Amino acid sequence: MAAIDASAVSKRYRTELALDRVDFTVEQGETFGFLGPNGAGKSTFINMLLDFAKPTAGSVRIFGHDCQAAGVAARGRIGVLPEGYSVYERLTGRQHIEYAIHSKEADDDPVEILDRVGIRDDADRLASDYSKGMAQRLVLGMALVGEPDLLILDEPSTGLDPNGAARMREILREENERGATVFFSSHILEQVEAVCDRVGILRDGELVAVDTIDGLRDSLGGGTKLVITVAEFVEGMLEAVSAVDGVETAVTAGDRSIEVTCVDDAKMDILVELNALGVDVVNFRTDEASLEDMFIEYTGARR
Amino acid sequence: MAWQTVARRDVGVTVGSRSSRVLLWLTGLSVVLGAYVYPVLGSAPITTARFGGFLAGWLTTLLPFVGVLLGYGAVVNERESGALRLSLSLPNSRLDVVFGKFCSRAGLLTGTLFVSLVTAGALVVYPFGELVLGRFLAFTVVTLIFGSVWCGLGLATSLLVATRRRALVLSFAQVFLSVVVWDAVEAALRAGLDAAGVIEGALPAPAQFLLGIEPGRVFQRIVDGLVTGSIVADGQWYLNEWVALVLLVGWSVGPLGLAYASFVRRDVS
Repeated sequence: MAAIDASAVSKRYRTELALDRVDFTVEQGETFGFLGPNGAGKSTFINMLLDFAKPTAGSVRIFGHDCQAAGVAARGRIGVLPEGYSVYERLTGRQHIEYAIHSKEADDDPVEILDRVGIRDDADRLASDYSKGMAQRLVLGMALVGEPDLLILDEPSTGLDPNGAARMREILREENERGATVFFSSHILEQVEAVCDRVGILRDGELVAVDTIDGLRDSLGGGTKLVITVAEFVEGMLEAVSAVDGVETAVTAGDRSIEVTCVDDAKMDILVELNALGVDVVNFRTDEASLEDMFIEYTGARR
Repeated sequence: MAWQTVARRDVGVTVGSRSSRVLLWLTGLSVVLGAYVYPVLGSAPITTARFGGFLAGWLTTLLPFVGVLLGYGAVVNERESGALRLSLSLPNSRLDVVFGKFCSRAGLLTGTLFVSLVTAGALVVYPFGELVLGRFLAFTVVTLIFGSVWCGLGLATSLLVATRRRALVLSFAQVFLSVVVWDAVEAALRAGLDAAGVIEGALPAPAQFLLGIEPGRVFQRIVDGLVTGSIVADGQWYLNEWVALVLLVGWSVGPLGLAYASFVRRDVS
């Protein structure tokens, strides 16, 4: 049974289509990153998982429970860090954790959880006096209560300092090793690249890609970037390189460099071609396409 | 049970707020104070049953205010701030949240009313009064329901609107309509029809029933019928106190039920 199963789910707000027939599954035990620029529909999707919003068409399921028809069952074995929340006024950090423990009928020790997310010393302060980063740690703590089978986190590193973000990643990794499925949305690519098994990329409400990071690389024409440094530019050099089979783009970068994206097999042909033109190749290296390159490719963020 | 978790947390939060404490103290003290002055101001015989009639008029003014003030922010505050998202991302249903909140707020008000009415009963009985237990118990129960009705109406507005300010305005509009406007409308209607020669003195029974549907009048009619025994209904069965009791129970669940039905269908934005 899939941890999350979205089938052709759409959401329309008055005139705007926020999600358009999104279709994918997150398998148990994987860490899945949900990527997309701001406003792409990531939070809308998570809101439907939590039944904050209802799909206009299609359905979403968590461990087989329909998120709308059986919302309580769907949320029974999960931990959630939603976006746009605020902590309860007049409750301390410890009371927040206790509330989650009672709601989930778990038997965790609040202090242990607060210690894990690094705010043990502030346990008995009112949570409304916490900084944004501390509140984020607190709600992560609430999510961890009851050893959930699935963690759903919407932009988890919002408001966290670098230490906090690192701790967050570490916790996500620990939870995943324990056997939990982790599903989180983010627009911070390093974070996704560091922890995710698979990613889904959302653009304007449409899911444009779901794959492993390596898979995404392969599907982008091999995704290899060749950076060639030459002694000096020669007339017609770029055109000649562009004409080589398997080359997607060729541009100059700086005074003496060319950047070529191409399939793996074309690398040697390019060097041969440059040699034939009488270009003196001083140095060359290949870069794997970073997740950021792929992200831009898929979402057209630079356009 | 999830609603109990919600209720327990909400009791803590409500009692922790100074304005709620002031409201509850005000309610309790005014009931006890009423019992303190009743033997002096009331006419003989001094009994706990007639005390109910003495207090009812004041309660129809006080409890609408206290009830909606306790209820109107219950859900909309958390909705506006975003704390509602935390409650609803836990395995709580929206019904758990609404029912838990209602039990918490209405429970605090009815608890306060109960304790203060028991104290008031003792003050009436000692040293000169007479205890009429059955009727006093009936008065207590009806008063508790009446308080819950207004808590429920406040909570209903909390479910229907998106901001705290709108909930407050809507709640006060209800109280104003009920406590101030309603009497004026009835008086104007009666004077108008009387002057036009359509009626002589009293409004026809169906009109009395419709005007009497307002919660405060329903409450008053039950107190008149069941507690003090000064029946005012003029023969039509639907004007009697038992129908009024059904109406009061209807007020306690109807508006809240409708507001919940709307709340559960909407997105929490």
